[in-house]
Parts: sequence; C-alpha cells; structure tokens
Amino acid sequence: MTTLAVLEQRDGVLRKISHEVVTAAQRLGGAVEAVVCAAGVVQGADQAAKFGADKIVTLTNPAFAKYAPEACAQALAERAKLGGYRCIVFAASATGKDLAPRVAAKLGVSVAADLTDLATDGAGLVVTRPVYAGKALLKMKVMSQPAVLSLRPNVFTPVERSKAGAAETVAVNVPAGRVMVREIKAAPAGTLDVAEAQVIISGGRGLREPANFKVLEELARAFGGQAAVGASRAVVDAGWRAHADQVGQTGKTVSPSLYIAVGISGAIQHLAGMRTSKVIVAINKDKDAPIFKVADYGVVGDLFEIVPKLTEEIRKLHG
Amino acid sequence: MKIAVCIKRVPDSETRVKIAADGKSLDEAGVKFVLNPYDEFALEEALRRKEKAGTGEVVVVCLGPAVAQETIRTALSWGADRGVLLQADKIPADPFETAKVIAAELKTTSWDLILFGRMAIDDYNHQVGPLVAELLGLPCVTAVSHLDIEGTKGVAEREIEGGIEVVDFPLPAVLTADKGLNEPRLPALKGIMAAKRKPLEVKPVQVGAGVLEVVALTPPPERKEGKIVGEGAGAVAELVRLLREEAKVL
Amino acid sequence: MDKIVPAQYQPPLPLDKLILQDGAEGAGDRMELDVLIVGAGPAGLACAIELARLAKADRTELNIGVLEKAEALGEHSLSGAVVNPRAFRELFPDLKDSDFPFRAPVAKEAVYLLTAERRWRLPTPPTMHNRGYYIASLCEVVRWLGAKAEALGVNVFTGFPAAQLLVRDAAVAGVRTAPAGLDRDGKPTPGGTAPNDLVAKVTALAEGTRGLLAQAWCQWQRVPSENPQIFALGVKELWETKQPLDRVIHTLGWPLPGDAFGGSFVYPLEPNLVALGLVVGLDYRDAALDVHVLLQRLKQHPLLRALLAGGEMVEWGAKTIPEGGFYSLPERRSGAGVVLLGDAAGFVDVPSLKGIHYAMHSGIYAARAIFQNLKNGAALSEYDRLVDASYIARDLYRTRNMRLAFRDGFYLGGIQAALMTLTGGRFPNGKYRMHADVEVARRFSPGLRPGSAETPVGVSKVDAVFKSGNSTRDTIPSHLIPAKDVPVEVARFYAHVCPAGVYEAIDGGLRINAPNCIDCKATDVLGPRWTPREGGSGPKYKRM
Repeated sequence: MTTLAVLEQRDGVLRKISHEVVTAAQRLGGAVEAVVCAAGVVQGADQAAKFGADKIVTLTNPAFAKYAPEACAQALAERAKLGGYRCIVFAASATGKDLAPRVAAKLGVSVAADLTDLATDGAGLVVTRPVYAGKALLKMKVMSQPAVLSLRPNVFTPVERSKAGAAETVAVNVPAGRVMVREIKAAPAGTLDVAEAQVIISGGRGLREPANFKVLEELARAFGGQAAVGASRAVVDAGWRAHADQVGQTGKTVSPSLYIAVGISGAIQHLAGMRTSKVIVAINKDKDAPIFKVADYGVVGDLFEIVPKLTEEIRKLHG
Repeated sequence: MKIAVCIKRVPDSETRVKIAADGKSLDEAGVKFVLNPYDEFALEEALRRKEKAGTGEVVVVCLGPAVAQETIRTALSWGADRGVLLQADKIPADPFETAKVIAAELKTTSWDLILFGRMAIDDYNHQVGPLVAELLGLPCVTAVSHLDIEGTKGVAEREIEGGIEVVDFPLPAVLTADKGLNEPRLPALKGIMAAKRKPLEVKPVQVGAGVLEVVALTPPPERKEGKIVGEGAGAVAELVRLLREEAKVL
Repeated sequence: MDKIVPAQYQPPLPLDKLILQDGAEGAGDRMELDVLIVGAGPAGLACAIELARLAKADRTELNIGVLEKAEALGEHSLSGAVVNPRAFRELFPDLKDSDFPFRAPVAKEAVYLLTAERRWRLPTPPTMHNRGYYIASLCEVVRWLGAKAEALGVNVFTGFPAAQLLVRDAAVAGVRTAPAGLDRDGKPTPGGTAPNDLVAKVTALAEGTRGLLAQAWCQWQRVPSENPQIFALGVKELWETKQPLDRVIHTLGWPLPGDAFGGSFVYPLEPNLVALGLVVGLDYRDAALDVHVLLQRLKQHPLLRALLAGGEMVEWGAKTIPEGGFYSLPERRSGAGVVLLGDAAGFVDVPSLKGIHYAMHSGIYAARAIFQNLKNGAALSEYDRLVDASYIARDLYRTRNMRLAFRDGFYLGGIQAALMTLTGGRFPNGKYRMHADVEVARRFSPGLRPGSAETPVGVSKVDAVFKSGNSTRDTIPSHLIPAKDVPVEVARFYAHVCPAGVYEAIDGGLRINAPNCIDCKATDVLGPRWTPREGGSGPKYKRM
C-alpha cells in the first residue's frame, strides 16, 4: 500500500514543508512515493529521500513554472488514478489548501483537512483535526480509497528515516488551465493586522521609549510576514504606537499561534482574551512580574539583549 | 450580474465549546449562531458588484436546518434579493456531501459568479467552494483578498506564505472570500424590514453520509503550567528549541 | 479629603443633547411606525406582544418596532432570577407553566445571616416566599419573548441603541439612534452608519434600570416623584458546579458592612448550574466599598466555598436595580406620545426581589392604553390608571418604606422592616425621605483592596469583563461624561464603584477604559454620566 506524498516547490526550489508531508506519509506504513509538479528539476527534491520517500517523481510541464491549479490538479489526479495509492497527503499550506480539494473532487471524495494527527489501526485510517478555532479536537475515520489528507503546518516535525528516493521524471501532458498565476508580489510591509497575525509581538512600557519598538519590528520581520507588532494599551495611550496596533483590552478573542509579550509586566491581565493564544512567551526583567503566571514560557532578563538574540535565532530558522 | 452566495450558519466565534452527551458534537444549549464571518466578505462583495452594475440578482444559498432561515434573512437584510434554504437537519461531516447538494442546486442557473467564504469557523474545512467548482466544472480561485473584474476577466489576489499571488481567471467562476476583501456593511433598519418580504424558498434535501465518519469530539489537551526557561540572552536558544519542538509554533 | 459627596463631581444630565426637535438634520434613514418601543427586555417585549395581539383580534395592522441596543436579544439582560409567572399567564392564557422559558420551580429555600465563618438560618421573611415561582435566566426569558413577538409580526431591531428623544413641541415623536463606526475621536468613518430617526405615534420607553431617555423625559417635562430614585448594584456570576444545589438561598450580613443595605442570592438553574450574586444599595457610606470585590470575598465563605469547589465560572455580569419603590415612581408614567415601562419607571419590589412580572404587566397595561389611544384617541394616561388600580401599585405601596428603612443601617432597618411586615404596611404612617444616592457622603477608610491580607483575589475585574462576553471595539470613542477635574480620591472612588474596571486612578487623575463598560449604569448613578454607544457594544450575556 503506497502513500502519495505531494511536495511543494516554488520557483524550482523545494519548500521545507514538504519534509513534514513525507514524515507523515511514513507514519502510515507502506511505501511512500513523493511527487512534485514543476517545470524542471526541483532543487532539494532529493531531500525527500532523507525523510522516507522510496520514490521521488517529478511531473513536468512548462505550466508548472508557476502554481497552475487546474493543470497541477489534473496531473496529480491522473497519477492517483493509476491506482494503488492508499492515501494522498498534502500540506495544508496556502497552496495545499487550494490544491487538495481540487484533486479530491476529481477522485470523487473530500479532503480530511488540516490534520494534527493520523494513525492507522485495525479499524482503518483515523485522523484528528482541530475545530472551533482549536477549542475542540475532532477525531474521524476516513473511509475513502484513496484517502486524501492535508496536514496542519508545523505539527508533523520532520523525522529523518532515509530511504532510497529513486528519482523519476515524467513529462505530463495537461492543459495549462483557465486559472493562471501571473506573479507573486511581496506583501506590503507593516500592513499585517494585529488581529489577523499568526504571531504577535507586543511591547509595553518596558520598551522605555517609542524608538525602541524597532527592536520588536526587527523580530517581526524575522518571521517573514507572519508577525505583527502589537502594543499594550498603556503605550498606545502614551502616543508611542498607533491605535491600530493596540492588542485588545476587552477580551476579544485574538488568537495568534504565538504571542510574545515584551516588557509587559502584568498588563497581560488586561488582555484576558489572549488566553486563547496557542502559546504565550513573556520577556521581562522582573522575575515576579504577573505576566509569567500567564505565559507558557518565560525568559527573565534585559529585553534589549534577549530580543535581538531571539531575532537572530528566528532568522536562522526561516532562512 | 447574477451572483450566488453560499452561506453557512455557524456558532459564534466566542462560543464556549461544550461537548454534547453523544461525545461527537457540540452541545448547542445557549450557543449563539451567526452568519459565518468569512461568508460576510463574500456577501458584501456580491452586493457591491451588483450595486455597481446597476442590475442583476444576488441569491443566497444555504444548507442547514430550518432555523437557518434566520441566517438567510440576515443576508436578505443586507440587500440580497432572494434566498434558498436547502433544508437538512444535520450538516454532514463530509464536505463533499455538502458540495454535491449545493452544486445540484446551482447547476440549473447560469451564474456570473458563485461566492463562498474561504472556510467556516466551526469546522475549518475550507473545501466546499473548490469542491463545488469542480463539480460544476467552473474555474476557481480560493482565499481571495482582493478582486478586480473587467467584463468576463478577473484578477484576484490571495495571500500565500511570504507574499501575495496574483491570479488571472475567466468568468463565470467560483471564488472563496478571505478577510481583507472588503469591509462588510452594518445592517440598516430599512434593510431589516425589507428582508421580511423577500422570497425565501425552503427545499428539503437528502444528504449522504460520505466517507468521513466522526469518531469523537474532545476538548483540547489541558494547557500545561508555564515555566521560566532561563535568564538573559543565553536562554534564547533553549526557548526557540522549545517553541519548535514542544509547542510546535515555529 | 476625608469624605466625598459624589454629586459635587457628577455632571448634570446633558438634556440639550438628549432632547432633539423632530426634523433636525443628522439622520440617515427615517422610519415611521405606529408604535416604537425602546428596549427589548421583558417590559418592552410584553408590550409588543400584547399590542400585536390586540391588533390581530381587532383585525387591524399595527406597525410595531422594538429597538434593542444589544447585538442580539438577551445579551444585555441580567437578573437573579426567581420569576412570578402571573404576567406570563396573562399574556399567554393558552399556554401552561411548563411551556414558559423557566428552568425549575422553586422547591426549597433558605435565608441565612452570615458572619465571616458561620451562618445562621433565619425564618424566611414573608415578603420573600418563593413557592410557586420559577428560577429562570432572564436572557432565556427575553429570547423566548422575542421569538413570540417576531412570530406576531413585531419588528425587533437589535444593534440599535436609542440615543436621543425626538420631540415635537412638548410631545415625544420618536427617537434617534446612535451612530456606528465612529473613530476614537468621535468622527465618522467610511464604514460606519449614520443615526436613524424612528418616529411613531406612541413611544414606549422600556430601557431598563436608569434608562437615559426616561430620565431625560422626566426632567424635561418636570415630572416629579416624592422621593428620588435610589439604586442598588448587583454583581452576578454563573457557575457550573461539581456539587449540586437543591434550593434557593438568600443571605444577609457578612461581608457587607453594617451601614450598607443588601444581600446575596444563590439560585440553581440546574442542580449544577448556579447563579449567584451580591446586591448592595448604592447609598453605602464607605468610599472604598467595591461590590465586585465583596462578591469575591463572599465566595470564600464556607457555605459557598464548598458549593463552588472544583467548579467553573462561566459568565459574569452586573446591573443596577431601582430600589426606591412606590415613592420613587414618577408622578405619572405617561405623557404626550410617550409611556414609561418596567425598571425604567421603577416598578421593582425590593423586599421580594421581584421586578420581571411587574415589568411585563406594565407592558401589558401600556399596550392596552396605547391601543385605545390609537384606535379612539383615548388618553395615554389610561396606562397610569390601569397600573394604579392593579396589583403592581398595591404591592409597591405595601412595601413602600421597607427598603427606605434600611438607610438607618442594617439592624435598625431590620427592626423597622419587621414591623412593616407585621402591620401589613400600615407602619409607619408617613413616608421615609431618601436622598439620591449621589448626594450621600462617603467616608474614606482603608476599605477592601483585592489582594490585601484580608481579602482573597477571586476573579479580577478585567478577567470578569472577559467572561461577560464583552468584545467592544477598542477604538470606540468614550461614551462616559466625567466632570472636568476629577481629584485622585474621587477617581479611586469611581474605580471601586465600577465593577468592570472602567475607571482607574492614575498619576493624580482619572483614566477611563470605556470599552470595558457593561452598561450596568452604576456610573450614571454615582459618577460620570452614561450615554449609549454603537449597537452591539457591551456585554453578551448568554444565560444571565
């Protein structure tokens, strides 16, 4: 029973999230065939072998130079229809969320989407996914053959389990499709809404003066467009930061995956709504600051030393 | 412009989730239901485009129980022209089944645009839009946060990791709406009154069980006690490691 | 400063902003109705339902509109509550008690006098017998009534606060709603909505406790009352408990100081779903008294600590209650084009802790008077006549001095109250004069600070506000009107008054966290004036 692991490339380079897909595919037992749609050779595709791909297939077509949803979906569906695949696994990345349902529909099934866990047991394939904004977990049995799955990013930590990774290139003849990606443009800087961000770095009075917020802006930039800089109410009222940056006071559910409170002593208690953040990190020089009671992880010390170091480490990760 | 907007009635985002006695579903006692927030962007977009074109029709389609008529009325109070409730007591766990029912309803009309919200805030499936598009054989762009249309040509922007994808597509098409597409309007008194007189058709439908079967709905794991990782810049490496491997947020 | 008189720092009601000539510019939409009801609480909805039924029976069509400032029905409704079903039975003669939105009949009840460690069971005062009544959530009651009203064709507009009275000469013509989408400085933004004018032949003001437009109308038309209205503040929590509770409990005494009037209630909506709260008269003398903090303290009493152990607080909220009773009712509750219903008029009986059925019945009587007024031109004062001839007036008259006696303190008040009960209201002969709460001097003393050695913390105000479901837009302009210069001692007093942490004393002044406000109106009674803000602001109570 083979699992088809769909890798993601951009501009001819394999995206790291692909390692997670292969790792998860490994978990299902049986052989793993990694597949990627590209216009030519994909740099780093061979890495899939490190994480468990027995075979790495590159489906080529000039249309795949950019993400071509219809062409890609058709190519993958045709490959899937060749048969023998128990599961087809995607990453629930921005592209994956677009592509997986198209492929699934062509196979006459839906996607078990955004999974945080999967297992095969006697009963078959059982998957887990967060629902209600993470306030509950849904466990489901997937009864379709093949089963189409998509994985929540950053959950299936890549595990090295080297396999042969026999490379194969297949030119596929599919129409380019009606939906064409024209280009990828950079996200305009600083427009990430605090309420929308996956990562929020909030600064309080501990920053000492408005100019020092650039330390937090540096850290936000290190996250590559997913992070916004927020501000405590005290700092907004003092005029240091714009009103739009104020992180909620009256408990609106702002739920970033990661909330980093820098130089905020206990004003976090004003942000009772932050409790639904997935992870809260506090950085403060006062070890008795109430913020540490609310945070999952705390670092005590001088933020002007800690934050730049954190920026450096994050940059390394996202590089 | 003839635009269909597919909407869903969902629990309010502030709902305190309690598991029902069957261990598989939400306990709905005291739960406030609302129009899915992402559907609001879709509805607003549809209304603006119809208002700009001067003529046309915005039809709201909803799969849901009888009480979902209230949700359709809300959409009508914004300015939609008529509504269709595909009535089923239970919304299936399998989104493909939902897509089949909706596609069957939409098939009989030729639409310029069919709009969905990017995803529903209860099940987070973000699939029904593209599944319906495949069933209808229409082009589809998901998670649209900016839209321009000239005649039968459209350009959409969608957020991807580290950038914005600019996508060309032809009309008619299926689009799913994301935050940022527009600023949904606030309800107007006159609209609320007018909504009562607009046509709302109720059509009972049969929905299949599909291939996804719910085994259990459980609360998330308990939030663990926090810990101080260390002091000073020296603790950062460990912090990052924990965030990566333990908390899995990096 | 050793004492403060809050009146010295409270701005007057901004009458010039509250009364607007009909036709004044500034409105977006204008809607004409036959009857406009302000407030979708039990009074407003009962009025709407009775009116719709009268019209239906008469085969006429009435265009009835109910304005509600909350985003959805019930979200600003809060009460204990133990409900006397008589008004439900009057409004729905074809339904049985089991059809009504009540949770459980009152089975057992107990009244306790508390000290810090112990409790003493007291015989239930005759005014507080609740047999035959039902424990209910006012939110659920309102949602149920709302559905009935809409089924009868009543238009219920949620998310629309009434901000100003529209008048034509001395007659009320309708209301203007608050605008939505103003920025922090009060300026309109592109996505916002302009105010709307709703005009009607009759406007029923059913805004609830300390209703703004009701106050404005009484002042504008100079409608007197024998005593000023006085208020209590109730802070309430809803708990899912591990231990079941099988009785309705009321307590007196600890943790209230001897010169404060009030007590607590503990009601099981279900055996493991318990509503509990502390109600304190706002004429208390200690400037540092903090009702929310006292409630946190109360929960430490062995009686409650055992009940709540292992449980979870699922909701929190607060609201004031008009306590002045008979002598604080406005001399007339009707006028040209207007009637006053429910708590806004003051129809609450403190000794029995009841107001919901009076509110509903006042709505029913008003509907009858309004219907006759529309049909035959009969005077709206018929509403006053109906109320005065009814059990509402009878009940309130019988207990007319009971609450007022407690201004002399708990013990003296208790003796006088007992005498009143024994004599069926004949004692005393005269009437107790009361001062408005805002005129009562408060002294400064150490008071109860959360976290001090004496007082355990319990739930902090900001966490409590989160549990009220409050998700008001943080950039909303402040809706509160303080005095120009507020000394830090007065700021501290306000901080104790407000259960939601709106006020903070900082750096020698007053900081206002307006989005925290949950519309309890305590501020309007003792501090900065309250005005409505955009629809949907404030709490989102679910089962309070």
